Amino acid sequence: MSEPLTLDVREELRNGGEPLPRILKAVASLAPGQALRLLATFEPLPLYAVLGRKGFDHEAMCHDGKNWEVLFSPQAPRPEPASPAAPVSKESCAGGWPKPSTYLDNRGLEPPEPMIRILDALEHLGPGEVLEALNERDPVFLYPELQARGAAIHTEKVGEGVRLLIRRAG
Amino acid sequence: MAALSNRLSRWTLPMFACALVNFLVAQGWMLAGMTWPAQPVSTAGTLAAVHLLVIGWLLFLMLGALFQFVPVITSRPLVSQSLALATLIALESGLAGMVGGFFGIGAGYPGLAMALPAGGAAVFLGVLIACWNIGVPLLRSRPLSLPGRMVLTGLAFLVLTVTLGLSFALALAAPALAPYLAPLLAGVGDHALAGLGGWFTLTAMAVSYKLLPMFMLAPEERGIAGNSVHVLATAGFALAVGAGLARVWSAAEPLRVAESSGYATVAIAVALYLWDIVRIYRTRKRPVIEAHNRAAIAAFAFLGLGSALAIGLRLTAHTSAGAPVIVFLTVFGWLGGLGLTQLYKIVPFLTWLSRYGSSLGRGGAVPRVQDLVLERRGYPWFALYFLGVLLGAVAGLLGSSRGFRACLVLVTLATFGLVIEYWRAWRGHYAQLRHHEPARSPLLPTQKG
Repeated sequence: MSEPLTLDVREELRNGGEPLPRILKAVASLAPGQALRLLATFEPLPLYAVLGRKGFDHEAMCHDGKNWEVLFSPQAPRPEPASPAAPVSKESCAGGWPKPSTYLDNRGLEPPEPMIRILDALEHLGPGEVLEALNERDPVFLYPELQARGAAIHTEKVGEGVRLLIRRAG
Repeated sequence: MAALSNRLSRWTLPMFACALVNFLVAQGWMLAGMTWPAQPVSTAGTLAAVHLLVIGWLLFLMLGALFQFVPVITSRPLVSQSLALATLIALESGLAGMVGGFFGIGAGYPGLAMALPAGGAAVFLGVLIACWNIGVPLLRSRPLSLPGRMVLTGLAFLVLTVTLGLSFALALAAPALAPYLAPLLAGVGDHALAGLGGWFTLTAMAVSYKLLPMFMLAPEERGIAGNSVHVLATAGFALAVGAGLARVWSAAEPLRVAESSGYATVAIAVALYLWDIVRIYRTRKRPVIEAHNRAAIAAFAFLGLGSALAIGLRLTAHTSAGAPVIVFLTVFGWLGGLGLTQLYKIVPFLTWLSRYGSSLGRGGAVPRVQDLVLERRGYPWFALYFLGVLLGAVAGLLGSSRGFRACLVLVTLATFGLVIEYWRAWRGHYAQLRHHEPARSPLLPTQKG
């Protein structure tokens, strides 16, 4: 596997610049399987979801409170949510659900950011499409909103977080 | 709106509003010099102020918070939203009766004195209704998380506290019952310890164990440390209160030893809790600490300071003389301080959920929760508040009534300033000011410190 591509945006951030276009350009230039090592002056929490949707996992390290090093690695293929190998809370109901078309990594986001992202993404799903989200915590205030929108949800505890499968009304 | 309102406690924000009004009324009463240290602790003025603070301010605040908090930790609704309103009405009317009753006793009006047990009975009823409303979802939740278990324990101490309080009220106001109940009055310190320690402190610990990790993204699982805090605090408060009450009737030496062991156990629990709180701050994933949790550090420091002072006074046999200062540090510094700081997040959060929740993902501009407050406006009030409490405690220790009231001016000013900030958050004042600011880049942090 090739070495991660390193991108240092600290100087640009200190000068009040906007490095997002440069980061997205760097992501687009990555070779298949290659990771991106981003150096920033703060933990770029919203970027996790942006690159999560593009299929990247992240691993963040804070060196001295001011310098953050985040490794964005291409995700390994995930099992089908409805397959027997992927337990969900109500498996019988989840059976037959299509493969998620959208993936959100909401870890590292404080409440209610995960709820905002999920409801926003839900509006962009087609009828019957499924989104998968990884949250730090059980999003208790999200459930009634999903219910009001006619969406179905399945949750399961994964490590220290919660994995959600949400299907838009068909 | 309809959907989220199912998850939002309808009476939480009104209870917070009542709590803050009661807090300011109590402070006004203290500023007028009608309480300790200008007056003896046992006078009607001091007793009225103490109950305005612990029932009017802290109990309203805590129950209001639990009406929202318990459904979140149990994923089960309250028994009834209407019962929460019943609690609010019973407590507020009961408190008014109690305050009137204290003055009736102080002024020697037997008719008005009966308002004390009548008001106490209403408070007792309000508490029982709240226990039912909160206790049922807690008891039905399996497995019950650490904060849930701590709240359940706290509720047991709350029932003990109001039962003792009602007995005292009957002893003071009903001469026919005095021969049977009067000896209990010697246990007034245990009534205070059961309320401020077993109920408020244990429950405040429970709430902090949920809220701090939630907004700082720290591990919620507290492991052995958290469970030990719960067990030790419960055992310590139970032993100290139980042995203390038993000493009303018996001077047996083992009871004194048991009471001291209870206090020592509580001290260990507090030390362990504070260590665990430091651990939460240190293991947080969010580098920025928001104003409410930054200011809460002072409240935790006051818990440590009050406990250290209590230990010091007990070891030097000065507990009685220093008790009012310990109560002041606990009510204003630890519990009141934690309450005011957490309201700075809870009020905007609940306001945001109720006002914008249904608009999410459906187009239109939705402000962020943190857009509802302006932290640089909040910080000076928190600094002034905690400075006033610290200096007030020093003045109280020195017995300077004038100095104490001067410090309380700072506390009242700061409380008033914070009330305005909560009001502005609820009204969306700062969100409107920010309405025309350019949209933020997705790379920039979602919250500013």
